[in-house]
Amino acid sequence: MAAPMEAYLLLSAALFCVGLFGVLTRRNALMFLISVELMLNAANINLVAFSLYHGNLTGQTFALFVIALAAAEVAIGLGIIMVLNRQYDDVDVTRAATMRW
Amino acid sequence: MTYQLAPWTAIAPMLVLVITAMVLYIVDSIYPEREHPQLLSGISVAGTVTAMAIAIWYLAAGTGQHGGEIVLFWDQLVVDGMALFFTVIFTAVASLVIVASYDYVRAQPHQGEYYSLLLLATTGMALMASANSLVMVFIALELASLPSYALVSYLKRNRGSVEAGLKYFLLGALSSTIFLYGISLVYVETGVLQLTAIAGTVGEIENVAILGFGVVLLILGFAFKTASVPFHFWAPEAYEGAPTPISAFISSASKAAGFVIAFRVLIEAFPYEVLLELGIDWVLMIQVIAVATMLLGNFAAAVQENVKRMLAYSSIGHAGYALIGLAALTNPGGTNDLVLAAAMMHLLVYGFMNTGAFLFVALGEHWGVGRTFEDYNGLATQAPIACVAVTVVLLSLAGLPVGGGFLSKYVLFMGAVSAGFWWLAAVGAVVSALSLFYYARLLKAIWIESPPSTRVVDEYPVGLYTAIVLAALLTVVLLPAFFAVAETAQIAAVDLFA
Repeated sequence: MAAPMEAYLLLSAALFCVGLFGVLTRRNALMFLISVELMLNAANINLVAFSLYHGNLTGQTFALFVIALAAAEVAIGLGIIMVLNRQYDDVDVTRAATMRW
Repeated sequence: MTYQLAPWTAIAPMLVLVITAMVLYIVDSIYPEREHPQLLSGISVAGTVTAMAIAIWYLAAGTGQHGGEIVLFWDQLVVDGMALFFTVIFTAVASLVIVASYDYVRAQPHQGEYYSLLLLATTGMALMASANSLVMVFIALELASLPSYALVSYLKRNRGSVEAGLKYFLLGALSSTIFLYGISLVYVETGVLQLTAIAGTVGEIENVAILGFGVVLLILGFAFKTASVPFHFWAPEAYEGAPTPISAFISSASKAAGFVIAFRVLIEAFPYEVLLELGIDWVLMIQVIAVATMLLGNFAAAVQENVKRMLAYSSIGHAGYALIGLAALTNPGGTNDLVLAAAMMHLLVYGFMNTGAFLFVALGEHWGVGRTFEDYNGLATQAPIACVAVTVVLLSLAGLPVGGGFLSKYVLFMGAVSAGFWWLAAVGAVVSALSLFYYARLLKAIWIESPPSTRVVDEYPVGLYTAIVLAALLTVVLLPAFFAVAETAQIAAVDLFA
């Protein structure tokens, strides 16, 4: 094996943190979606890398399911962002605050 | 020996739900220009009631119970007492919500989509109750969540609905990634995702910190689905903006679905005694969450001016009560099955009480009553039957002996006391007393204040009335029938610990 397993864990943790940072700081709903995708892929790195390490295909198979589910989630999310844009003429998540946060 | 059905028929309730959803799409595409409210809601309610009847029949016949759980698809799905019990909760709540929706969405476009999304979400919840591996838990969770996001923002020309849908979606997407990262960390350490297989390998893992972090992330994922602290703050927003029958559906059925995966994953995959030896005390974490949720939900509910927000915070408080079912687990478990069964019973009764309360708000919206407590002044003189029904469910929510809510809380708190966690029961009892205050505020407005002369109530929607009265009736029936039903929950809980 070329890289030690810790390297994969660090990579995925770093990617997860980048995504989380984006979620917490970005106000644009589309950037929020992209950040969430980063976090999902962080989990996928773990699943695929350790699938090799453990010598079973469970993790890789699950990663395929996750990719499909992420696409479904984005489809719903884009729909909601589209009606948001129609109602508020903007995709800024802080603009939609007619109710108290 | 009686005739035995094939094993795959154990998932018949789910199959009925998903087929009904598909039939709705077909029917809707035959007449795309015109809406058919009676036809669509009739088909949907037939589907959910059939699924519920099958689940009740299985429960009565002992399918999958007494240690004879049915596993399907290479251990990915399991049908046991708990799965069937929760399927009954989801389908019953979905039936009430569909009956009420008939009046609520009658004038709206895209009703076929509305009902089929509702049925798909119910399918997802039933699948969550049966999921036996973290893969299935995640897929089922998404199947239940994705239609819910769309349903919350169903009124797409209404700013509140869109805003609620956006917030629910953003936090839901975030929490499901956190949950998934937790699953991936568990996989990193154990190399398996099937729940009993995790329990088999969890004792001899290499790095406890990674597993512990994974379990914490999983619990945060459950906290979102059950609307518990620290992921509770989406709930008031989503419930307030959503179409009110959908608020009832999410706050009752979706919350119960969050609990069923929390129960199964934590108890089956992470046995408390094994994880305590490793130094991962997840029961302690649940205890902290339970107390914080009970306190925050009830205190925040007491200061609300908006009825729907009050109900939203009260539903957060009730998540805290149900969490006692996990928080009062002891090692080695003497009364574990008792408290868990009590939590399951509380979720059942709560499903009816809370749905009834939210549907009453839907009735108010139907008449254009308004949002605050004052707007409901004197409604009893104009709509006495609905007001009697809502009085019953609210008093039962507060824990007075008019409905099953009294017994479920009583057994839950007694279970916590006998497990040695008297302080959990004490916090629960104190905040229950507080909850009587804010429920009584609504009752005072309805019964004692005089109605404003400007309000006209000239039409009595049949669907909403039926659903509210049925919810109240079931709440009352669960008072005398409590222990008969609790026996089923007890059997399910014993099986889960076995």
